[in-house]
Amino acid sequence: MSSDFYLELSENPVRFEAVNQLTNVFFDDSNKHVFAVRSGGVMGVVVKGPTESDKPLNFRMEDHGPVLSIKFSLDQKVLAVQRSNTSVEFMNFNGATLDSEYSQSCKKNSNILGFVWSQNNEVAFMTDHGIELYMIIPEKKSLKYLKTTSATVQWFVWCSLNKIALLASAHGSQLQPVLFKPGSISKLPKVETEPGRMALERDVTLSTLYDIPAVLILRHQSGPQSAEVHVHTLSGPGQAAVKTHVLKLGLSGRFAINIVDDLILVHHQASRSSQIFDTALPGESDGTVRYHTTVAPARSFKPAQITLPGLVEPQSHLCELYSPNWVVFQPNIVIDAKLGCLWHINLCLAELCSSITDLATCTQLALKRTNGKPILLKLLLEAIRQPKPPLDKLQESFNHINNVYRECLEAELQSHTASPPGAPSLKPPPLSRVQIDQMDMYNEIFQKLEADKDLGKLEWTLISYMTSLFEQGIPAQHNLNELLITTLVKRKKFTALQQLLQYGVVSDSKPLACLLLSLGNLHPAASQLALDMLARLNAIEEIQEILLSEGQVLSALKLGQENANPRKFLQAAQNTGDDGMFHSVLYYFKNTSQFAGAFSKDERLNQFVQQYNSTFLEK
Amino acid sequence: MSKNKDVELKNFFIFNSLYGPKEGEELKKILYYYPISDNADVQIKNVGLVEGIIQFTGTFKPSTPVNSLHTQKMRQLYFQPEKNMWIVLTLTLPTEVKGKDSSTQIEYLEDDVQDNVYEAVLKQAYYTYRLFWGTFEHTIENHDVGTLKTRLESFYKAYLKTLKLGHADILNVFHGIQYLPLDKLTFLKVQCFINSLECEYPEIAYTAFLYNDHLIWSGFEPKDMKIVYQYLIGTLLPANMEAELQGGSMPRNSVSPFAALHHGRFITGPTNLKTAKNVGKIPKVYLFASGKAESYNLVVYRALSASVCLFMRADKELSLQYFKDMDEFISPKLTAIVSDISEYCSKQVITPSNVPENAPRFIYFNKLNLAYKSTAHLDNKQTGNIACTKESLKIMADLNNKRSLLGHSSETIVKTMNDYWVVAKNSNSREFYVALQQKNASLIDISEEIKKLCDTELKGIFFHPL
Repeated sequence: MSSDFYLELSENPVRFEAVNQLTNVFFDDSNKHVFAVRSGGVMGVVVKGPTESDKPLNFRMEDHGPVLSIKFSLDQKVLAVQRSNTSVEFMNFNGATLDSEYSQSCKKNSNILGFVWSQNNEVAFMTDHGIELYMIIPEKKSLKYLKTTSATVQWFVWCSLNKIALLASAHGSQLQPVLFKPGSISKLPKVETEPGRMALERDVTLSTLYDIPAVLILRHQSGPQSAEVHVHTLSGPGQAAVKTHVLKLGLSGRFAINIVDDLILVHHQASRSSQIFDTALPGESDGTVRYHTTVAPARSFKPAQITLPGLVEPQSHLCELYSPNWVVFQPNIVIDAKLGCLWHINLCLAELCSSITDLATCTQLALKRTNGKPILLKLLLEAIRQPKPPLDKLQESFNHINNVYRECLEAELQSHTASPPGAPSLKPPPLSRVQIDQMDMYNEIFQKLEADKDLGKLEWTLISYMTSLFEQGIPAQHNLNELLITTLVKRKKFTALQQLLQYGVVSDSKPLACLLLSLGNLHPAASQLALDMLARLNAIEEIQEILLSEGQVLSALKLGQENANPRKFLQAAQNTGDDGMFHSVLYYFKNTSQFAGAFSKDERLNQFVQQYNSTFLEK
Repeated sequence: MSKNKDVELKNFFIFNSLYGPKEGEELKKILYYYPISDNADVQIKNVGLVEGIIQFTGTFKPSTPVNSLHTQKMRQLYFQPEKNMWIVLTLTLPTEVKGKDSSTQIEYLEDDVQDNVYEAVLKQAYYTYRLFWGTFEHTIENHDVGTLKTRLESFYKAYLKTLKLGHADILNVFHGIQYLPLDKLTFLKVQCFINSLECEYPEIAYTAFLYNDHLIWSGFEPKDMKIVYQYLIGTLLPANMEAELQGGSMPRNSVSPFAALHHGRFITGPTNLKTAKNVGKIPKVYLFASGKAESYNLVVYRALSASVCLFMRADKELSLQYFKDMDEFISPKLTAIVSDISEYCSKQVITPSNVPENAPRFIYFNKLNLAYKSTAHLDNKQTGNIACTKESLKIMADLNNKRSLLGHSSETIVKTMNDYWVVAKNSNSREFYVALQQKNASLIDISEEIKKLCDTELKGIFFHPL
């Protein structure tokens, strides 16, 4: 099992010129660009990313001193370069070359800590006195002042996805989230941290978990206690970011955090391993905060190789994992500046699932993953195919699956019942990424079990799955009912079948009643149950057919005559060999005005009249 | 001065004519004889008479052997369960003292003893024996006649004492099973529990699940189940309930109030796991539905009101540790399920005792799953605790006896002298009997009443049109 790595670095990392005396490397996490700036730009700037296949940008710029930060605008039309802490220079970019520079200084007495592109044409300077928002007008090569928000800032963290900046003051004990919208900046309530508890910039991560912005703060503990990650989620507009989850790391030392597919990865350098947390999983809770431990045993990344140009031929180089040169960026980027590589972290869900021992937990986890469906189905099938399938755990898994399934069905129903126009359309709840419906179960699990000829397991799982469906109030589809019945029949468990039908586990339908009828000769109770079922469905014609086939002509006739076909009844009466019966039936039809006409119309009825005459009159 | 007397057991014996064909060896024919107070001569005489009757009647209708013999004071019933083996039950007819003090006369009430009822009693006596010891032949083949005699002796000595001949009625004829009405989800939970139990312990061949006296699930044929059911609710469970009432299973002063409540225990096998040194007594039972006898160890686990009966393959050695593991496995799951069941049941409390006094009383029986339900009986202990007249129950048994004449479906209405109406409905392999008292009612009224009752009590069932 220990060979199962559930995290890997992307196969084709973005390769760039490694840091050296001449070259400086910058990363812009908004555009996911890596900038390799040679000799301040004079020798050229190479921009690569977000993936290796993206065409790199190459240009030169004048050297006006060492570069502190360099970022393209979001539409890549303007390049911004920060070389001092009082101003930022801008250059229009046409895809190949740069125009002349124009500059924007910050307010007096302020120091620029950094800048971010908040919109295509808006740039925000983060200074120690607050935020200055400017609109850029490339055509005029000028900037227009828009807005200022004052705050004391020591450092800040930027999340380009949510356009939220977290401003830190008082050594990180005060964390102020700020939301950027076109032309405006709004302060959100402060992150509720433990009063006075400081935090370093590198310990704070801004990201998104299940579509909700979240602040993750790594908390180192003094003494023998291990470190924790505190997750504060910004649940809604105007609401404070409250601590909702605590990830217990069980280790201390240097950590780095990434988010992949809404799973939190915490890398630990000393042990060269990563833990995985899912905030959606249940955990021990004190009412507001849920405590999580890693869902699977901590594992290292899968070993990664890159090819390096050698003297004669390219050489394969094994990358050092968890290297001190690693820098991580959100959500899933790892950069080794010395090696000149940018990787994306990939999650190997199948391997992760197989290292989670608890099937129910694993199901919950897989249900929330983008590509979880085939893996989850495979996992379930494997669990069932064990010599002693863990039925209790399967039951739990089915409950999780059907819970999601029910939500999907309800959402579907709601979308059909159109809301009146003008009514505030409620945002549908985020649907789970994996939906496994009855057809999936039928095709991927039950049919495979049937093919295995392991009918015992098929029966157990079917019952278990159907129980779970009913628990969620979802009716079972016909194919499941049918499969259940045929499985029980094949196992010769008529008694079980009978009891399941008695207790209404299998819902009534005409096809099922017919199936039961066909079993009647094997098991007499099946016909009885079929008749009951048809009676509940009010399927009078079918009941008549059955009674006729059993020679109970009078009972059949009494059930209803409106649509009766005289020929059918007469034939059945004739088949009984009971002359008295034949007489009665014929007389009934002849003397009922409704049918009397039929005798003149339908040639074939005369045959019965002749038969009658030959039986009764000639004696 | 003799008073009115109920029906009584006169004698009960089992014989095989081939075992003592010669004169002077007649006693060898007798495998079992009750009462022992009858001396050898009486025994030989009685057996000889029966042999004669059987032989004599056999010449008239060899295809169906003789069932019963009616005499003025006696009723004798015959049953041949296995080749050459006969079981005979003789009853003294109930009597009634008629007339004034001076000229009293004892009248024997022949009509009060119904053949079909007591035939059922007789057959049940055999099938119950067979449940525990297999067929007579099985014992003779594997052991010898002596062993068979010992087994019969020990079994019937106890069994005959439990017979409640006076209260035998139509329910004996049905010999049915009471199922617990349950919603499908709770039922499926029971089913899932049993599946996981059978999956965890593959030695379990079949499982049956009872709640109080009602069956919820049985993994084997009703034909076998009815015998087991009768044993469980008639003997095993009541005996155990007494032990529970005396504080056996749930000690009032548990060691720690914080210890998890552990409700269940085995009632066959090691009944007290804490003190048990060995696995205790596990009854061995034989099931026959598959066509040949198969033996199983019957382990019964009981928690709260639920009993789980496990039929373990006989070849599996059961250790004390095995039971301990099983207890750990069953107890928490079962407790959860029982609370679901009792919650469901408490929502629909309709017991025979809280039906209004003059409401129609009915008995329902389905031949195909042997399910029965009765509001005419207030309990199922055969103690004569009934909610309608004894006479109506007798009429029902008579109607039951004659139903074969009526074809697929029928409805028969009988009015008694005391304004009681008894209705028998027979359709789709089901029987439905109703007793109701209504003064000055017409046939139409009664028919309407029955229709109403069918609609409420027998919803979702197909009835042949009348």
